[in-house]
Amino acid sequence: MNTLITARQVIGFAVASLVLSSGGVILPLYAAERSVVLEIAALPQSKPVNKDMAELGRHLFFDVRISGDWSRSCASCHNPAKGWADGEALSQGYTATDYFRNAPSIINARLRERFMWDGRLDGADLGTLVRDMVTEAHFMNADGRLVQERLKQVPEYVEMWQKIFGKSADPYGPRMFNVIAEFVKTIESKNVPFDRFVKGDEGAISAQAKEGMRLFKGKANCMSCHNGATFSDGKFHRLGVPENLDIWNNPLRAITMLRHYSTSGMPNYMNARTDVGSHAITKNERDKGKFFTPTLRELKYTAPYMHNGTLKTLEDVIEFYDRGGGKGSQLKALGLSPEDKKALVAFLLALSGDPVTVEQPKQFDFQLRSFGKN
Amino acid sequence: MILNRTLAGLLAVSLSVAAIAVATTAAAATVQKDAKQAKSVRPPAIPQLGLLPPVPVPADNPMSAEKVELGKKLFWDGRLSGNGTMGCVSCHFPQLGWGDGGAISRGYPGTKHWRNSQTILNSAYYNKLFWEGSVTSLESQGPSAAEGAVAGNGDRSVMEMRLRFIPEYVAEFKKVFGTEWPRMTQGYQAIAAFQRTIVSDPKKVPFDRYASGDKAALSSSAQRGFALYNGKANCIQCHNGPLASDQKFYSLGVPHSEAFRNEPLAQITFRWEVYQKGVSEKIYRDADIDHGLYYITKNPKDIGKFRTPSLRELKYTAPYMHNGTLATLEDVVHFYNRGGGDAPNKSPLLKALGLSDADVKDLVAFLESLSMDEPLIVKDPKLPDYAVMK
Repeated sequence: MNTLITARQVIGFAVASLVLSSGGVILPLYAAERSVVLEIAALPQSKPVNKDMAELGRHLFFDVRISGDWSRSCASCHNPAKGWADGEALSQGYTATDYFRNAPSIINARLRERFMWDGRLDGADLGTLVRDMVTEAHFMNADGRLVQERLKQVPEYVEMWQKIFGKSADPYGPRMFNVIAEFVKTIESKNVPFDRFVKGDEGAISAQAKEGMRLFKGKANCMSCHNGATFSDGKFHRLGVPENLDIWNNPLRAITMLRHYSTSGMPNYMNARTDVGSHAITKNERDKGKFFTPTLRELKYTAPYMHNGTLKTLEDVIEFYDRGGGKGSQLKALGLSPEDKKALVAFLLALSGDPVTVEQPKQFDFQLRSFGKN
Repeated sequence: MILNRTLAGLLAVSLSVAAIAVATTAAAATVQKDAKQAKSVRPPAIPQLGLLPPVPVPADNPMSAEKVELGKKLFWDGRLSGNGTMGCVSCHFPQLGWGDGGAISRGYPGTKHWRNSQTILNSAYYNKLFWEGSVTSLESQGPSAAEGAVAGNGDRSVMEMRLRFIPEYVAEFKKVFGTEWPRMTQGYQAIAAFQRTIVSDPKKVPFDRYASGDKAALSSSAQRGFALYNGKANCIQCHNGPLASDQKFYSLGVPHSEAFRNEPLAQITFRWEVYQKGVSEKIYRDADIDHGLYYITKNPKDIGKFRTPSLRELKYTAPYMHNGTLATLEDVVHFYNRGGGDAPNKSPLLKALGLSDADVKDLVAFLESLSMDEPLIVKDPKLPDYAVMK
């Protein structure tokens, strides 16, 4: 017993010293429950990318032949014109396979701690995220090996590929996904008022937005989860977001949801009737209904909101939090005045920059290859 | 003392074993000699054409009317594919002889297949399926087709969950298999059971009526063709037994499909197929012909070999050969008459036959008599709908 207590104290000290040594910068997640000073921050400097990879990745991002039946490209659900999401409450998914969660924007994806609403993929591994999108039956349902042979049939792609990987290199699964990931890394917020403000441009955000920021950090308590440069703590929380009834009322979506639970190895998946969130991944009862904290950047372009798109506007979102969330929520009612809510919206909008656009490339055609020279 | 006795005993035993061995060797030599003599007199016994026996049914997938009825619906159901439209029937279409009518099968949207879509008529009788014999039962053929990226491109767990959201299927699976929720393996069993009902009706097959004693069932031309089949044309060498297939593998030098030269989509599939067969990089890089059985055995002697198909129901299943390069039965007979094509490992059984034009006609007449008088058409079943689960 004594030993246990001692061990805990040691860990406590270790955490405390980490907090001290990190000197007020973004803190390790597990330290949040200690007396940690949470902050919000400007986006860090972009990291350089491999330009040739990103350029080929741009082409592949828009190429429908990355999907099984050529019905969709990455851009179908991550459409630049819709904030790199799809503007729908629930994502479309593959042909005859409607999906059961909201397609998030991929702007600033390079900074995410985890991918997917249930956090099933590691944010440090963007290539694996791309592989999941391309090969998963409910997204693009393509056989990765078939896709690599398709790329080989496009001389322009082979040329770009060999410029990156060497003269005799072939398009090849894992690299192919990393190429697309390299492009995704270039999709970043641009000219964000809040970031300019943090860097010293006092006039970059309105007085109302500044009041919103005060509420964000204080009374509204948004910052307890939406913190750091990404405005996400990288953790999972239960807010009691209303169920999106379209999931269960549309068998195509319900099929995808239960099938996802079944392939995740979740116990008793046939009896699930609501979205259990990260529980399907952790199998921990305490994680039922918990979802990954999303970024608040670029919200202006990415309505509707929440993991199932049930809140249509930022005002709806703030009302939801003001009530203390929904059924089973870990939140408390906030008691915000109408002016408070307006100020919060003004601040949230200051987290969105200029529209992030790229030029959509022309899709190169397949060409014949010399026979017997594969 | 004891040891000595044991030794003596052993010696006696080994002596008598030696004596038996000598006698056996002598007997074997005699048998071999007899066989050699017999061979020079008459060819080794080849199973003759004849009526198909009852359909073989594996002990772990017994037939029942309900299972066949369920399997029929599943055979038609596009939800057992990736995009909801590529059910079994889309490449095995009753009106096209239960094939798809193309030289090379159409394949999944966004792809082209690489081989001819075979009829499923009488597939119940094969002990190995696909052109390279890669699976050994209908129960394992279904998944290869439904889940293969250039065929059905279905994900098994998705297809299974789709079945579970179709209440009529849930009830039927429960009745047939006794489980609370449908499973894809059971779905494939039901489809196999249905396929075991898609067989030639001997009453409608002229040759079968002839074999049953109705000598008028074959025209005199077809009867002459039958004699050629068993004699000068030597078709019986491989197309033998009731199925008219020995289910063995041969290289014939069938012309190469131009699709692999002229169509990007066919080139993609060809490379993809070769890539995933586990061949060496060199084979993948150089591949310009379909290696057939080699992909399974990796034995160079098997390059270009394909499993002998049945000749039943040919009338409805043009074009012919593993890549559909021969459009008509006349083309096929001419091909054999020339002694086949040119290929590594070509079977020595193929020699120029010296058939006259009249012989060719007679042979074709006979081949057609192996097909039913009318095609076997099954009406599209009504498929049940999805419903919201309680």
